[in-house]
Amino acid sequence: MDSEKTVIEISHMTKNYGKHRGVTDLSLTVEQGKVFGFLGPNGAGKSTTIRAMLGFIRFDSGRIRLLQKDIRSHREEILAQVGYMPSEAMFYPTMKVKDVIRLAAQVRGVDCAQEARMLCERLQVDTEKKIRELSLGNRKKVSIVCAMQHRPRLFIFDEPTSGLDPLMQTTFFELIREYVNQGATCMLSTHVLPEVKRCCDHVAILKEGHLQCVETVAALTKARAKRIKWVRDGRQEEFLYDRDLNELYRELEGHDITELLIEEPSLEEAFIEYYRA
Amino acid sequence: MRYIYKHEMKQYWKTLLLWSVCVGGMGMACILLYSSMREEMAGMAESFAAMGAFSAAFGMDQLSIATLKGFYATEVGTIHELGGAMFAAVVSMNILSKEEDGHTSEFLFSLPIARGKVVWIKWCVVCTNLLLFHLLCGGLYGLGFVLLGEGIPGKELLLYHAMQLLLGLELAGICFAVSAFSRQNRLGLGLGMVLLFYAYDLVSRVDPKLEKFSVISPFAYANASRILGTGEIAAKGVLLGAGVLVLALGTAYVKYTGKDQM
Repeated sequence: MDSEKTVIEISHMTKNYGKHRGVTDLSLTVEQGKVFGFLGPNGAGKSTTIRAMLGFIRFDSGRIRLLQKDIRSHREEILAQVGYMPSEAMFYPTMKVKDVIRLAAQVRGVDCAQEARMLCERLQVDTEKKIRELSLGNRKKVSIVCAMQHRPRLFIFDEPTSGLDPLMQTTFFELIREYVNQGATCMLSTHVLPEVKRCCDHVAILKEGHLQCVETVAALTKARAKRIKWVRDGRQEEFLYDRDLNELYRELEGHDITELLIEEPSLEEAFIEYYRA
Repeated sequence: MRYIYKHEMKQYWKTLLLWSVCVGGMGMACILLYSSMREEMAGMAESFAAMGAFSAAFGMDQLSIATLKGFYATEVGTIHELGGAMFAAVVSMNILSKEEDGHTSEFLFSLPIARGKVVWIKWCVVCTNLLLFHLLCGGLYGLGFVLLGEGIPGKELLLYHAMQLLLGLELAGICFAVSAFSRQNRLGLGLGMVLLFYAYDLVSRVDPKLEKFSVISPFAYANASRILGTGEIAAKGVLLGAGVLVLALGTAYVKYTGKDQM
């Protein structure tokens, strides 16, 4: 892998919270221009990993490099090139939307007015309202504008579409695709598997603080069991089969098979299998 | 950095205005009352000075309440020192912890600004608010003197208010350090600490056994009766106060830059 194109590099990162488990010996890389999905059940360590990547929390061992720089020693430089959207999307309640967006741009020292205007138009953001008057979905839209307006090289989104209506979700993914086509990289932490299927190139699955796998979406579904649907001896049956198919054919000998369908499992099934394993 | 500073100042301007007008307004009202109470005070001054512990607690054994200085020290001094100290707690107790309490830390710390700089910016906001508070209150007191038609005891008053500012900074520094450790609103703790220090100062002025430990409370070196009566400051107390302030700020910086932001 060409290291110049590696945008995220996590090497053997461990973070413990005393009695409570955090993340153990996590290693993964993300190349430039990819949309990387980050999946896992609640409490798996996804938010811990993201917080460690952005320097919100200190990790116990390992190394994290974003945009070829170490997060521990180059945090400010890295964050200037990162657009982050947290899952909670909380801002100062008494501020107006336009003031929050402007503050984010001013602290970055970048003139984002044009880009912010375009984003607010496409996401239908009312900039005159106060933050405390906004619903979760509208706060999420403000968070998207703050994350995208400075056209960063790396986007990190944590549960980006929860609270967004379907139209805004579509607009959001269109925006991601546009920025990625221009050379940006995106990491998407989500529970929404259709989103992963829709736009992610690779997926990492985290469970109980350990990385289970990093695969392409296609490989994730292909590598696991097949879904078998058949009508055998007049009975309809459906199940996942993870052994050699030749064994299955031998099992069918002597039976009356009127229907037989062998499919790739859905991403949901592949994912749930990892969760349960 | 200046944008974060401006943003924080906007968050506190209403609090600053409210407290300055209330404390300064009450002080000014007291000053204006002097002219109507002057004669009654003259008659009662000796009685007030001879009330033993009560007199000592409120400095009426050092300055006659019948004089403008004495009246100022007793009446306005009490309002200003307690009001100013509580304001110091209000503007500093939550200034760091509010980011986690309000879940805005993920917004603020995802911006390209070092956490250490955020600590210093917020401390500058605390200092600015305290300075403006004392200037606004001082302005109202000065207006009171002008309307009263009395001369302002300039040097002693300036010294007293400088010590009041240091008192506010020390209390704010301690609250600032607590705010660095906390993830929640702890305003009650800050106000309680202020009242505890105030009560300790009163008791230490009354109880001879506690006299040499009176420096523990920052109210001791900012006492209105002593400063306005003698024109001198308690150097030991001031040095201790400055030391506590520096220690508190150092603690706040180290803690806040090192802790996990949740």
